[in-house]
Amino acid sequence: MIFVILSAILIVTGLVFFVGSAVGLLRFPDFYSRMHAAGKGDTLSSLLVLLGLAVYQLKDFHGFSEDWPILLVIIKILAISVFILITSPTSTHALMDAGWEDGIKPTIQKGSANHLEEDTKDI
Amino acid sequence: MLTKVIAFIAVAITGSLLLYGVADFPSFGDPNSPANAGVEGGAPSISQYFITESYKDTKVPNLVTSVLADYRGYDTMFETVVVFAGGMAIFAILRVLRSKEEPPKPQSRAETFVHGDHNRIIVGTTCKLVIPVIQLFALYVIAHGHHSPGGGFQGGVLIGASFILLALAADLKTALSRLNEPNYIRLACIGILIYAGFGVLCQILGGNFLDYGVLQPVLFTDGPEMARSHSMLGVEIGVALTVSTIMFAIYANLASRGTLNEGL
Repeated sequence: MIFVILSAILIVTGLVFFVGSAVGLLRFPDFYSRMHAAGKGDTLSSLLVLLGLAVYQLKDFHGFSEDWPILLVIIKILAISVFILITSPTSTHALMDAGWEDGIKPTIQKGSANHLEEDTKDI
Repeated sequence: MLTKVIAFIAVAITGSLLLYGVADFPSFGDPNSPANAGVEGGAPSISQYFITESYKDTKVPNLVTSVLADYRGYDTMFETVVVFAGGMAIFAILRVLRSKEEPPKPQSRAETFVHGDHNRIIVGTTCKLVIPVIQLFALYVIAHGHHSPGGGFQGGVLIGASFILLALAADLKTALSRLNEPNYIRLACIGILIYAGFGVLCQILGGNFLDYGVLQPVLFTDGPEMARSHSMLGVEIGVALTVSTIMFAIYANLASRGTLNEGL
């Protein structure tokens, strides 16, 4: 029972982050902040949902000798999460870099300190 | 313009003929269709036969694989040939063999401003971690097609995708240095030859084309059923070779407009 509750908490938290990244993707003003929302939110929420599924598998686990296939399923789910943890931020980074190379300028609010010029003058 | 109109008419006629033919099909999953229920007084149900008898015939638990590679092996062989022909068509249309001197490329911003090449470090490290795993998993998918979803087409696409990832992350030259053009065309041909070779070997030993049961004395198996199982693995390997190399060939030709010397 404890595992079911724990997995429910993890999955619901993951879904909340999914909603957050979807809202950010729709509402943020420019390419870079949208990628920020999609990259960070997607990675974390997928990880949380997958961890929730892995924990859910534990509810039928009673002993290693007869229930070892469950451990196999958990290892597979964890392998998927490691894969997502590595690849999702990298793809966000590559997209972001491609956007910068293509000359997309970040939106800068009027009146706020503009460090873009001095930060990028030597590159 | 006129050619486009003619092409549109041809496509419209072919499409409406196909749709007309679909109308006569039994609906999807219909238990009373001839394939599922059999013909009264005539042929028995073919679906029932596969479900109940395919394991006894082939000793392959995954009946999709046994249908695809054994009962319908002829069909799958020519599916592989279709993939091969698609790759060769793209080669024939796009490949520029006698290329003129390349005009010097205008220096892109990537070369001017990425001092430490941080992009290449991050993406390159990730690819180093990921590509071996993808290729190992592809081999698992090919070899495990008998027991779980998978097989030559899926595993071949995974291997092809790993090479495409290398070409995207580094550049096309790096990927081509691992699998260059003569080699990928050779491997694609070898894949089809493996598949057809199994069929011809069956004929030499006195069976029908792709009737793997007669390969028992060659493969040293316990019975004709295990010979079928092992031959299916053999033809899956042939399919995987063709599909993976043709995937990469299509990408390489499309991404470099047939010159194979620059990439995206």
